[in-house]
Amino acid sequence: MTPTVDFVLETQGLTKVFGGFTAVSNVDLRVARGSIHALIGPNGAGKTTCFHMLTRFVAPTRGSIHFNGRDITKVGPAEIARRGIARSFQISATFPHLTALENVRIALQGKLGWTYLFWKSERALDALNPTAEELLAAVGLSDFRETMAVDLSYGRKRALEIATTLALDPELLLLDEPMAGLGREDVGTIAALIRKVSANRTILMVEHNIKVVAELCDRITVLRRGEIIAEGAYDVVSRDPEVVRAYLGTGHV
Amino acid sequence: MLLGQLLLGLINGSFYALLSLGLAVILGLLNIINFAHGSLYMMGAFAAWLLLNYLGVGYWPALLLAPVIVGLFGMLLERTLVRRVYKMEHLYGLLLTLGLSMVLDGVFLNLFSAVGRPYEIPKIMQGVWRLGFMALPIYRAYVIAASIFICGAVWLLIERTKMGSYLRAATENPALVGAFGVNVPRMVTLTFGFGTALAAFAGVLAAPIYQVSPLMGGNIIMVVFAIVVIGGMGSLIGSIVTGFTLGVLEGLTKAFYPAASNLVVFVVMALVLLVKPAGLFGTAPSLASQVANTDPDSRPVISGKARDYFWPFCVMVAILVAAPFLLYPAFLLKALCYALFAVALNLLLGFAGLGSFGHAMFLGTAGYITGYTARYWGWSPELAVLAGVAVSMLLGLAVGALSVRHRKIYFAMITLAFGELVYFFFMQAPFSGGEDGLQAVPRGKLFGMLSLDNDRVFYFVVLAIFLAGFLVAFRAVHSPFGHVLKAIRENEPRAISLGYNTGRVKLLAFVLSAAISGLAGALKVLVFNIASLPDVFHSTSGDVILMVLIGGAGTIFGPVIGAFGLVGMQQYLAPLGSWVNVIQGVVFVLCVLAFRQGVIGQVGRMIRRPL
Repeated sequence: MTPTVDFVLETQGLTKVFGGFTAVSNVDLRVARGSIHALIGPNGAGKTTCFHMLTRFVAPTRGSIHFNGRDITKVGPAEIARRGIARSFQISATFPHLTALENVRIALQGKLGWTYLFWKSERALDALNPTAEELLAAVGLSDFRETMAVDLSYGRKRALEIATTLALDPELLLLDEPMAGLGREDVGTIAALIRKVSANRTILMVEHNIKVVAELCDRITVLRRGEIIAEGAYDVVSRDPEVVRAYLGTGHV
Repeated sequence: MLLGQLLLGLINGSFYALLSLGLAVILGLLNIINFAHGSLYMMGAFAAWLLLNYLGVGYWPALLLAPVIVGLFGMLLERTLVRRVYKMEHLYGLLLTLGLSMVLDGVFLNLFSAVGRPYEIPKIMQGVWRLGFMALPIYRAYVIAASIFICGAVWLLIERTKMGSYLRAATENPALVGAFGVNVPRMVTLTFGFGTALAAFAGVLAAPIYQVSPLMGGNIIMVVFAIVVIGGMGSLIGSIVTGFTLGVLEGLTKAFYPAASNLVVFVVMALVLLVKPAGLFGTAPSLASQVANTDPDSRPVISGKARDYFWPFCVMVAILVAAPFLLYPAFLLKALCYALFAVALNLLLGFAGLGSFGHAMFLGTAGYITGYTARYWGWSPELAVLAGVAVSMLLGLAVGALSVRHRKIYFAMITLAFGELVYFFFMQAPFSGGEDGLQAVPRGKLFGMLSLDNDRVFYFVVLAIFLAGFLVAFRAVHSPFGHVLKAIRENEPRAISLGYNTGRVKLLAFVLSAAISGLAGALKVLVFNIASLPDVFHSTSGDVILMVLIGGAGTIFGPVIGAFGLVGMQQYLAPLGSWVNVIQGVVFVLCVLAFRQGVIGQVGRMIRRPL
């Protein structure tokens, strides 16, 4: 008998058609609770579209998404975030003209329920500073708390975005190419950070850096042209002839 | 009668279709809503008129020449001015073309006055076809046919030819199309020229039907905006179909219920927004498509924490307290009202990144309500003002609910169209006094005790209320709510992904702004003892945007400076007559191109502190 696995996220037949083009086709994705799960595949495989559907930045054409057993297919993007799925973006998505500290505080502030309190002093938000500073320290940005996000280097912007996403303390963290554009040193730092924050949550990440994926991820799903072609641990997937063909082209097999 | 109105509707529809098509072509490729489109249409008509009266060039050559001339002029505008804003926030494209339209309309108004000039129908088109059931003027039939033909040809050109596919591809990914060896900047220039030529073509067609007048563009363009919204923004086929349909609908309304004929297009717009926000032929853009690198080119002004503004605030209060002993109270009262209005708009424009182009609707609505309750129901000033503010807030809630969810450029267009709806409402409403306005509104006694008839006493009451409104806006900006608002301005998709219901946050900002605008409008009516149509007119909406820009959008004191500056300018330049509008337009263009921080933003940058 196989032990029942607790899946935090499950999709069934997830499909997205843009015009006549099927970007994602019948994807059944299951992400085990507490795992680090990678979604990989060649360019145009539909990874980011999957992320967009999971967070309702794009409405699926067909299929369903369940989070903690509840159907969230039709839930709006902001509500999905409030229910515990937080995401980062492929391009750095910061609030450019707010300081690094304010960037993180915006994420922390949501839980306080003060969003509409236009008569309350902003000084009340200072209570969030210790937590925000901890998060900045975790991504190595302590020295930049008063720097505007727009003035940060690319690598630091990515770090800030991850800190902001973590500030939501999500149950499921979706990272869209966290290593893209980072120098070797930064890759090490961010990888260590991802491992650290995976302690009490589930992480689903799209990533091209196979070394990082091999090191970090418990399970890997490989997409090609919108369809799942392989799934399993790194050792299994990396030896799968389908996967090799997808990445290297048929000539190499 | 019915057939006559139907025909007239179809004629109007022809122009709506042509104009909204040109607008959609430019919008699709450049992502700019060309506010100057109406002016270019007017210029097309004038080009034909000038060609005939000064060069003896007749209708048929003019039908070709005028679009070429105006199209070239459009390309010149694109090359020299419009091009500069592509890399900025889309809002600046709107502001620039709005400024341009003020300049163009103003120049023609000064050169040719508002008098309509007749343009004779070409010889072979004179006369009428007797169809038995009605008499069909030949020229009118021709206009409808020509319009349908041109619309169809443009649609085919863009949807069905290789050139069109390049054009559409360049909308999606200019870099890629550039890599194919297409000169994208030149294509953009040509497209802009083509869009303006279409407007000019419509102008020439219109010349023999309507009279040639500098006002003809301004009158029609608002309706065209509403039609673009109804049709589905950026949809070519939507523009064409909606243009004709709404023209006919307007004609039918004229036949059955003339009082509502000016309103009907805008009411339909409100209904469509309610049922199908993306428009009849449009599809709502997904949130994913709005995730983009935020533009590093536009750098907002320095901002600070609330306490950083304490001393500058004291200076402002000191100046305003001393002012009535040095300057005319009447001038100061007017400037204070506009300053409060500008503060209200800045809350949206500067801190939420929402450019409302119809804000006069709140100023004017509150004014009418305050005026009416004070004049006819004998309400005391404080109650009358409260009533005005309350109604203004309700209006803000309704308009905001239908508009804040839209992307910024459409938000501008929708608010402008709603402003027009409110304007026509007060023009027609039985209680508002029509063109004369509500006159002899009494200032009354504050709380039944303090008479406000003395200008100096009244000044200090208004000053106190102004400061209260100013502080409410200030606190809103420096509150947890204000921080979320700024985050939305900076990167809305990101704010959504952090769990914020950004639509509701923006709606609250909109209602707050409507309330403060209403307060300004209510005070203004008590100041001048009259509530009248200019207060709801779109030129007032333009004025207040300019005030915020001059002073510095996103600064705290900028709107106040901008309001005093513009009111002062209007006062002192009054001897120049209508050239003031041209000067204002030029200032607008300069602010957008070279002076986006505004006076206070620049000063703040120089002395390195938030102001």
